[in-house]
Amino acid sequence: MTRGIIYWIFAICSLMGIILLAIGLAETVPNAGGLPHPEFPGMVVGEDGAARLEHIGGLAFAFNALLLTLVVCLAILGVSERHRSPKFVVAMAVSLVIMLLIWWAMFSTHQEFLRTGETGYFMGFPIPTAWQMYGTWLGAIPLVAIYTLGFRHFIFTEADEAEFNALLKECQQEENQD
Amino acid sequence: MEAYRQEIIVGAVVIYMLFCIVTGLWAMRRTHDSSDFFIAGRGLGPIVVALALFSSTLSGFGFVGGPGLVYSIGVSSFWMVVISSIGYAIGFFLVAKRIRMIAELRDCLSLPDVVAARYSSEAVRFLMAVTIVLGVMGYLATQILAMAVVMQAILSGTETFADIGLVSCVVISSAVLIFYCVTGGIIASVYTDVVQGAIMIVAGSLILMTAMSVFEGGMQEATSIILADDSEAMMPFGAAGVMASLGWFFVFGLGLAGQPHLITKMMMNKKMTDNRNILPMSLFGYVMAALLWISIGIIMRAAVIDGVVDPLTLPDDAASTFLSVFANPLLAGIVFAGLFAAIMSTSDAFLNIGTAAIIHDIPKAVRGHSVKNELFWARVVTVLLATVAAGFALYSHFADATLVALLGAFGWGTFAASIFPVVAVGLNWRGASVAGAVTAISAALLINFSVQLAGIVLPYGISGPLVAFITSMVLFIGVSLVTKKPVLAKDIDRVMQI
Repeated sequence: MTRGIIYWIFAICSLMGIILLAIGLAETVPNAGGLPHPEFPGMVVGEDGAARLEHIGGLAFAFNALLLTLVVCLAILGVSERHRSPKFVVAMAVSLVIMLLIWWAMFSTHQEFLRTGETGYFMGFPIPTAWQMYGTWLGAIPLVAIYTLGFRHFIFTEADEAEFNALLKECQQEENQD
Repeated sequence: MEAYRQEIIVGAVVIYMLFCIVTGLWAMRRTHDSSDFFIAGRGLGPIVVALALFSSTLSGFGFVGGPGLVYSIGVSSFWMVVISSIGYAIGFFLVAKRIRMIAELRDCLSLPDVVAARYSSEAVRFLMAVTIVLGVMGYLATQILAMAVVMQAILSGTETFADIGLVSCVVISSAVLIFYCVTGGIIASVYTDVVQGAIMIVAGSLILMTAMSVFEGGMQEATSIILADDSEAMMPFGAAGVMASLGWFFVFGLGLAGQPHLITKMMMNKKMTDNRNILPMSLFGYVMAALLWISIGIIMRAAVIDGVVDPLTLPDDAASTFLSVFANPLLAGIVFAGLFAAIMSTSDAFLNIGTAAIIHDIPKAVRGHSVKNELFWARVVTVLLATVAAGFALYSHFADATLVALLGAFGWGTFAASIFPVVAVGLNWRGASVAGAVTAISAALLINFSVQLAGIVLPYGISGPLVAFITSMVLFIGVSLVTKKPVLAKDIDRVMQI
């Protein structure tokens, strides 16, 4: 099922490259990368957020959705093929869904703010920024948990350890014979 | 206590420098050969590796540049921080196990050693070593300059050293750095990393508490002030915009697994199974330390907008102004010591991998064997490398900053773009070929150099390293797919199936 993961990674990176090119060719706006603050030197302002996203908002959303998919595909690549059990693949899929949901929540609440100009607060930050701050960081915790809690199931099993030790021994014996 | 603020700060920095010297002497007794000098004899415990890993991620940039970026562009720079959980996870999934296995199997001392074993190619070793040396020169020069500038700022506030010059500060800071790097090698580096990590965790928590007390309404009042001034600065993509933010998300996230000074530390743990604990510990440490970055930046931007503090001359003054205006002198002393610790331990890590590339990898790639008496030459080259970097730093400050700026472009982004595909993907995909690796490294270097040299500004804040990273990934996999399937050495083939 995950044997062709490298082709997925290749396809995702290629798509991201195409999106980047499309963004590069899109109509630009003066405040796309920010403007100097009118009052305080050294500070940059973003000004009209809706205008900045007008031509590239959808592309940027797709770019990051692909990036999150790439992250999960790379994590799968990092696990030996023989340990990519259905349980592992489901856990990875759940991680991806969580990360994509957080990204969607951040993006949509930001869009909502751009429409209404109003936002609530969560733990000190406006809600879209709280999704970014706390959500993005916590969104990858399932990946960390899979690595840490599943270490002896997916990453480096006792059988792997025995196999590696046997390989080390063989190599040492060969070296001694030489 | 307020009357002795400057003395307390100077005292904290001097104590830290003395600690470095003592650590160097202690580590020298544990450094018997080049394996001890470069990879600590692969004998470190999980706590030491975890702290060394996360504190090496945050150089002086985390203390000075990070808060400065938040002050300047608002939330955009948060993306460099919030990506840490993904970055560390990817680093461990892709690199930690296999780099450690290959290092033990082939007795590798450096990252180029590992890639040479993986690809059975001296060309890939050579390219990797050259990339590291170029990057190390840029990083080291900027770190030494930053250390000297901060030292001058601290010392000039005292009566005795009011007129101290930058050259003297470069000499003093480089001398301490060279002493403990030469005597203790990577062992001294990782143990100072441990102290740096501990300082950063403590400082991050205390700074957050201090920051929360600046405005009556705490963090929410500060973010409301910024939002009212310019809503985009406080929204998820910040003032720099969506593509600059997502570019950092990509380059700082995935790129973590392409930083030679970090992934080399993944070769140093004693037991492979320690990795399961090193990952969450590193991540926890990083998050605690990053509180300093975020909270200082937000409070300083809000305080200037609100008129609590005068506008800063430079965004990078955010941390030092915050410490002098809002922090208790003792906390300021701890943070300044932490700043020196961050700069010195990162410099030491770079000196170490740069030295390994010069005396071990490049000779091996060119002549087929490294120099004789590696430990002696490692110490000599460490002195030379640090001296040249210090010279570079002074030259860039007083004469022409172009060369160092150019080498500085060989920072995080270039390492990420050129090393990540070859190491992180290559260690997990048996189809990766030498042609793919050479093409990816060359393309990454070429794109980053071209963008920097030509001063190209891409639309929507798209960065050169982002373009280089995606291009090198596509080329690495694409070229490997269309070239002949590589025949791997038997032992490497077996390791890659585990």
